[in-house]
Amino acid sequence: MRKILLLVLTIAPLLAYSQGFQVNLEGQKQIGMGHTGTGIVQDGASVFFNPGAVAMLPENYIQGGISPLLFKSVFNPAGTSIQNHTSNKVATPFQAYAVWGPKSSFWKLGIGVYTPFGGLTDWGNTWQGKYVLESLNLKAIYIQPTLSVKLADWMSIGGGFVYNRGSVDLTRAIPLANSNGDVGQARLKGSGKGYGWNAGVYFKTEAGITIGITHRSQVNTTIPAGDAIFTVPASLQSSFPQPNTFRSTIPLPATNSIGFGFYPGSKWILALDVNLVNWDSYKTLSFDYKTNTAVLQDTKSARNYQQAYSLRGGAQYKANDKLALRFGGGYASTAVLDGYVTPEAPDANRVYGTLGLGYTVAKHLDIDISFEYEHLMQRTQTNFESQLSGTFKTDVYIPGISLAYHW
Amino acid sequence: MKTLKLHIYIIAGLFLLGACKPEIHTPKPSAGSVDFSRYIALGNSLTAGYADGGLYLAGQQVSYPSIIGKQMQSVGGGTFSQPLFSTAQANGSGYLSLTGFNADGTPITTPVTTNLAIRGVLPVPGFGNVTLYTKYTGDINNYGVPGIKLMHITYAPYGNLNGYFERLLPGNAPTNSTTYLDFVMSKPFTFFSNWLGNNDALAYATSGGAGDVLTDKSTFAALYNVLINTLTAKGQKGVVATVPDVTSIPYFNTVTVAAILAGVQKANPGVKALYINALVSGSTYAPRAATTNDLVILTFPTSKIGQPVATPVGNLPYGLTPYTPIDNQYVLDEKEVALTEDYVTSYNTTIKSVAASKGLAVFDAYTFLQNIKQNGLVVNGVSVNSNYISGGLFSLDGVHLTPRGYAIVANEFIKAINDKYNSSIPQVNISDYNGVKFP
Repeated sequence: MRKILLLVLTIAPLLAYSQGFQVNLEGQKQIGMGHTGTGIVQDGASVFFNPGAVAMLPENYIQGGISPLLFKSVFNPAGTSIQNHTSNKVATPFQAYAVWGPKSSFWKLGIGVYTPFGGLTDWGNTWQGKYVLESLNLKAIYIQPTLSVKLADWMSIGGGFVYNRGSVDLTRAIPLANSNGDVGQARLKGSGKGYGWNAGVYFKTEAGITIGITHRSQVNTTIPAGDAIFTVPASLQSSFPQPNTFRSTIPLPATNSIGFGFYPGSKWILALDVNLVNWDSYKTLSFDYKTNTAVLQDTKSARNYQQAYSLRGGAQYKANDKLALRFGGGYASTAVLDGYVTPEAPDANRVYGTLGLGYTVAKHLDIDISFEYEHLMQRTQTNFESQLSGTFKTDVYIPGISLAYHW
Repeated sequence: MKTLKLHIYIIAGLFLLGACKPEIHTPKPSAGSVDFSRYIALGNSLTAGYADGGLYLAGQQVSYPSIIGKQMQSVGGGTFSQPLFSTAQANGSGYLSLTGFNADGTPITTPVTTNLAIRGVLPVPGFGNVTLYTKYTGDINNYGVPGIKLMHITYAPYGNLNGYFERLLPGNAPTNSTTYLDFVMSKPFTFFSNWLGNNDALAYATSGGAGDVLTDKSTFAALYNVLINTLTAKGQKGVVATVPDVTSIPYFNTVTVAAILAGVQKANPGVKALYINALVSGSTYAPRAATTNDLVILTFPTSKIGQPVATPVGNLPYGLTPYTPIDNQYVLDEKEVALTEDYVTSYNTTIKSVAASKGLAVFDAYTFLQNIKQNGLVVNGVSVNSNYISGGLFSLDGVHLTPRGYAIVANEFIKAINDKYNSSIPQVNISDYNGVKFP
């Protein structure tokens, strides 16, 4: 069993990767409970959900999981009966945590590796919006060493430093045809890094309710010199000099959370989380090319995202010593204003439901599985910038599995 | 073992999920109040799919009527046949192809002269030479004839004077006597589009006001009434388009007075003005200095400027003195522009009032193209404008459209039809159509 566990942990970082921009898949137990975890203590995933709660963990943890994700969008161009589907690509957000502290000590150390943001959308090169976007693969992998300290039996705090390794791979068609009628293509590909922090506080109240409050900071991720590859008809290549590089910064937004845990009887945990995501920091998406020409100018496109919130609720029922059943759900408001919806992340208000199951397969070893269905409301839009006009609708299906070893 | 089973379930589940796709419910395309079973298109070169200075197979295949006809098939439209050139003679009349750029960025175009469909040249006394093309004998829905004016639709000998019309007729020039209107009416139809009238103004304008005349306004109105009355005699519905502002095309806005003058001044800073032979009034022309309101045509050979021209006062540089003005045929001067616009406005008043009286849909091409000239247009992330080559809308001749331009026009026709008749012909995906092809 231990061998299998190690295998999962080693391959996880290689599998890497992500979904439609903010990825809320940070722990299988928590996914099962509707992504709640700020105000309760479950396992090593507290490193992400609330570093302040880590010191309250009764044991040490090493755990890893993945959530293969199917992001299925459809676009119906205005005035047509065409249905453009994204291709079936499975993104694999993952999460791995380790938490350690001396037995019954007042402190614990932890480290988390997780994928809080990303996007994998591939619309292909024949659809209506190909000059806006063909495909996008955006990844952000956060690595977060953490220290948590119990200040009293009823209160602990914690914080961690975040290092983000981000990458982008974007393609779009260029409306310049060669003599065969093949159009050009732009590909922007590069990686960069960013820094931030994650801190939280956790209370056990006399009423038996637990409360967590956290702030995960904004992480400005800069790609300093990505490859800017332009394929255009030969007679125009001098206007799109090669090789060329681009610089771009994406502000991955801060998230403020408050969460509550309720314990009606020894078998039940009920949890409630409220998140406020400061997406309003994402004003523009800019690409600054190293070599400009009259044709190839730097681009700045307005995004003007707004603050978004989500409400999450979930429950766990401990059927017996070995088996835990979980369910939950939630609602998340869109960060994208009307007129700014793009095929990169065809965002809309969304609802989701989750189911989960935890089983102790051997001493110290938990296996947790979860399943999530997420539905983005149908949204009819004409983008201000591209004038791409039509209706987006998205369904997301996310099964997930993790192993946790604790002692 | 239990975990292994679990894995199998998860993997099987993933495959199942892979199969389900979100769908957006769209209303079933509807014909509204119209029978689209046989749609025919009347018009000139724009309707035929003329582009890059010629009519050729690839252009015909993206003509706006063929796009509309295809889209109509989901609302009860029948087969849409066009008088296509054969693949062996795919280059039809021949056309211009972009083969490169000069160091100063100006384009180099080269005529395509292979695989033509030219079957001969017929000299017509008192008219000139008429190029004849390989006959087309199949079914026709697209009656677009390059060069035709509204003025010609009831003119019996026209089938001997226009090779593009002649190739559609059974008889050989010079024996034809079927009028365009009679030819179109020879087979029943249920719906029509009509975009005739452009050449009644354009032929005058593109010849710099020198080689042709504007069709008289009342003649235009009388013929337009005859045309629409005939087309709607059995209660057929249709869509008509207005005549675009001829000055909204790159043919008149690419080689500008300012650009030519700047080129001359680089070598001779002393030169202060270009001279043109400009309209004074009626048919009186006199030389004067050119202004930015005078429009030089795209095909003006700028190398003529400054060449010595023999005059009574000795050799003088072409275009740079009042004694050696740029020839009338190369310039649509300010007064000629105003005259053309006055006629076009009158034609469009006629078109709109006749359409209104018959309850026809109208695509206001005048307003649409003028708006693009002033503001450009963004479609599906593609920016188009009225600039030569880079604008993506106009083909290499600066008058006719690119496939992208024709697709945009097709959607505008479709929108006008849907608005008027409560139908829902689906629009075409403009992203599938290209602008000018680059080497």
